[in-house]
Amino acid sequence: MNALREAAAGQIATPAKAENGDFDLEALFRAQYERIAAVIARVVRDPARAEELAVEVFLKLSRNPKAQGGSAPGQSIEAWLYRAAVRIGLDELRRQTRRLHYESLLEFVRGAATPTPNPEELHAASEERERVRRVLSGIARRQAELLVLRSHGLSYEELASALHLNPASVGTLLSRAQQAFRKEYMQRYGK
Amino acid sequence: MENNKWIDDRLGALNPDQEWMPDIHRALARLRERRNNRTTRARVWTWSAATATAGLCLLAFPAPRAAAEYCLNCSVVLWQDLASSKVVHTSLIPENARKPASDFILNDASGRPVQLSAFKGKVVLLNFWATWCGGCKVEIPWFIDFQQAYAGRGFQVLGASFDDDGWKLVKPYIAAKRINYPVVIGDSHLAALYGGVQALPVSYIIDKSGRIAATHLGVVSKSDYQAEIEKLLTE
Repeated sequence: MNALREAAAGQIATPAKAENGDFDLEALFRAQYERIAAVIARVVRDPARAEELAVEVFLKLSRNPKAQGGSAPGQSIEAWLYRAAVRIGLDELRRQTRRLHYESLLEFVRGAATPTPNPEELHAASEERERVRRVLSGIARRQAELLVLRSHGLSYEELASALHLNPASVGTLLSRAQQAFRKEYMQRYGK
Repeated sequence: MENNKWIDDRLGALNPDQEWMPDIHRALARLRERRNNRTTRARVWTWSAATATAGLCLLAFPAPRAAAEYCLNCSVVLWQDLASSKVVHTSLIPENARKPASDFILNDASGRPVQLSAFKGKVVLLNFWATWCGGCKVEIPWFIDFQQAYAGRGFQVLGASFDDDGWKLVKPYIAAKRINYPVVIGDSHLAALYGGVQALPVSYIIDKSGRIAATHLGVVSKSDYQAEIEKLLTE
């Protein structure tokens, strides 16, 4: 995990251009795929699904010529990838959470007994992870994006670049996001 | 600070399991597959859109439509020339094997009756056609030339149009093309007399005795027609 954090925070050069000057998606993919998959895996429950979604992020990039040069002046492709990754991950998390919610309602209507927790749910760390994911899916998306990318090791500057924020206001926004997270967590699970 | 630590502890639970490592080779293969599929789909869409646009342009604007028709007609002639074996082509039937052409009487564009047997003693080119038929439009200018060149030697072209809308379409066409020979509107009786009209154009070359000397289904080259007419005129 440390390696991932170091990679996320590091300054590894990303080969975005081929020798002939064309956009080299595969070189970028090789350099960034693991980091992007790791960001998505933080919020998506199934790692295999996280890997699929990471591929989707690169496909989106290949269809978006504007993003291939950075979506805004001075912004890097990496920043675009992180933003796309955290958004696709959170969207998937919300879909999964909604589905689980409806499934639990359906079980209730059918009068079934409370579903037996599987071994993973019984595991304390997994249980905590599930709680955090549910809380993230319950707060504002921008705040969830900030918290996920920050927990992945991005600096304030990188957060500002990835999420199109004023670098001076990242600290304030992050603090508000943390408060929102804590409040939502307390409401759902208490201390 | 305590709040930050509490948050970090909670969010720390999101760290993927130590043993999990994304399979980059499998992912790269998936990326390539998806890109190739998309490229193929994009190509199909591009061709479909181009075809649809071209079709709409041809329908909407007369000039490109006329040009397209001209190209189509030229292509038909070229194809017929190159693949003459595919055309039902009959050379002149020997005199003793010719059968009489069925007689009929129909009105021309000005309402005057036209009877086939009235042309007995002349070589007659009886042409079944329609305004929507590309091959017919190729042949008609030739027939106008034949009528002009051979009328003085005992030759007559007679057209029978099989347009469903009849004179409404045919009269303007005759005027536009300056057709110099009589044209009648063919009906089911006429079609039945000649064995049913399965395709257009169909042309019958009738000798001076009123017998069918040649039948041509589809477009035949102008020189073939000329050779047959010349031969029949000398019989």
